[in-house]
Amino acid sequence: MVRNTQLLAAASRLKIAHVGLRAFQRAGAFVKPTTRLIQNFGRFATRAKLQIDKAQLQALLRAEKIPVDMTLDNGYVILAMGEGSVLGLGLCIHGMVSSQLPRKELRGAMLKCHVEQDHRRSESEQGGISC
Amino acid sequence: MRSRPFNEDPLSQQSPRMTVFFEEYSDIIPDFSSFEESLRKPLPTHIRINRLLIEPASLINALEEKGIHLIRASRRHDTICRATGFPSPGNLLEYFLGYIHPQALTSSVAALVLAPESNSYLLDMCAAPGGKTAHCADIMNNTGLIISNDLYTSRHVALGHTLARMGVLNAAITAYQAQEFPLRQRFDFIMADVPCSCEGKFRQAGKATGYRESSGKKMLPDLQRKILLRGFDLLRKDGQMLYSTCTYNPRENESVVNRLLNERNAELLSIDVEFDVEAGLTNWNGEKYDKRLERAVRFYPHRVDSVGFFMARIGRRG
Repeated sequence: MVRNTQLLAAASRLKIAHVGLRAFQRAGAFVKPTTRLIQNFGRFATRAKLQIDKAQLQALLRAEKIPVDMTLDNGYVILAMGEGSVLGLGLCIHGMVSSQLPRKELRGAMLKCHVEQDHRRSESEQGGISC
Repeated sequence: MRSRPFNEDPLSQQSPRMTVFFEEYSDIIPDFSSFEESLRKPLPTHIRINRLLIEPASLINALEEKGIHLIRASRRHDTICRATGFPSPGNLLEYFLGYIHPQALTSSVAALVLAPESNSYLLDMCAAPGGKTAHCADIMNNTGLIISNDLYTSRHVALGHTLARMGVLNAAITAYQAQEFPLRQRFDFIMADVPCSCEGKFRQAGKATGYRESSGKKMLPDLQRKILLRGFDLLRKDGQMLYSTCTYNPRENESVVNRLLNERNAELLSIDVEFDVEAGLTNWNGEKYDKRLERAVRFYPHRVDSVGFFMARIGRRG
């Protein structure tokens, strides 16, 4: 996928190795939208979108499946977190969602700051820790 | 790579080599002792906020809630920040989402100096790993077209990954030798951040990231000149080009641009930056350069607390 422009005609005379954003890729017998496509355009989706929290994301990154309350059809579902942050895709089968997020790129360590912050906040609310 | 303890001061252990090497610049680098001192300090962590995907204020607030404090590094641009107390921005979720890109302050300034316009045609001649291409796409608001060129297809993986991660939708990747880029195109803007000896990166204690020893350095000016000449020949009549390196070596900086001024009808355009910079040199080591080279700028680590850099903004005369 590439932004349409009249300049593409000029560039067509070049030997192009790669153009734009890869939108889809093969996943076995199926065609799957890429994570980057979903991150860029997933916010416009009106269906098959699931809002998850940090704990659910951590479970997905541990290759666990998370149950969902919504009546989701079997298939790909857009995973969103917080306000407007689209992470990528999950796969919903019979009410259980597994991660289709790129494991090498999205690591549990990326959530550490969040988790520590939440942990500190909850402990201070209980009067256990002074900052 | 295991990093050495800071208090061992490996820079002083290496100092005979460093003294010999940088000493030749002692008459052109102002306050040379402060310059040497700055090389002993670690490079601060700067990041660029990617406005293609998030507004700077939202990102700063989100990171503040995580206890990560960003300080604006530029009065004019709210997208360049310094991250205090967090040396690894690549470990943040915001990095995965493409909201931020770790980039040296001086590298971030390059695209701002070139200032490509929306809907324009831009060539990044030596693009990998893609930080400057992505920044140009941000400034262009993902409009127009960027040809992001790098010779080595092995570097296309990192290049493509950076562009995809940062939501760049207006770029195409090519694999030409920069100095042989086909002449049948004409560009509005050209970024020529050429291969260099990377002396400006000799900053972290015990590390000379990307720094090239003398055996490779001798080949560089000839390559840089060829790239610069080809880039100039690819410019439209009122196009602009930025020639940049991360080295202090005048042989790779002013001398190369001087050759362009002698061989082409080129003009050096002024560069207006808010940072404490030095003007380009007009002579060094017995070699005299065109007086217009004063319009080029030099960034030194003891002045801007970032990677050393050289920039020259070039247009066609008349």
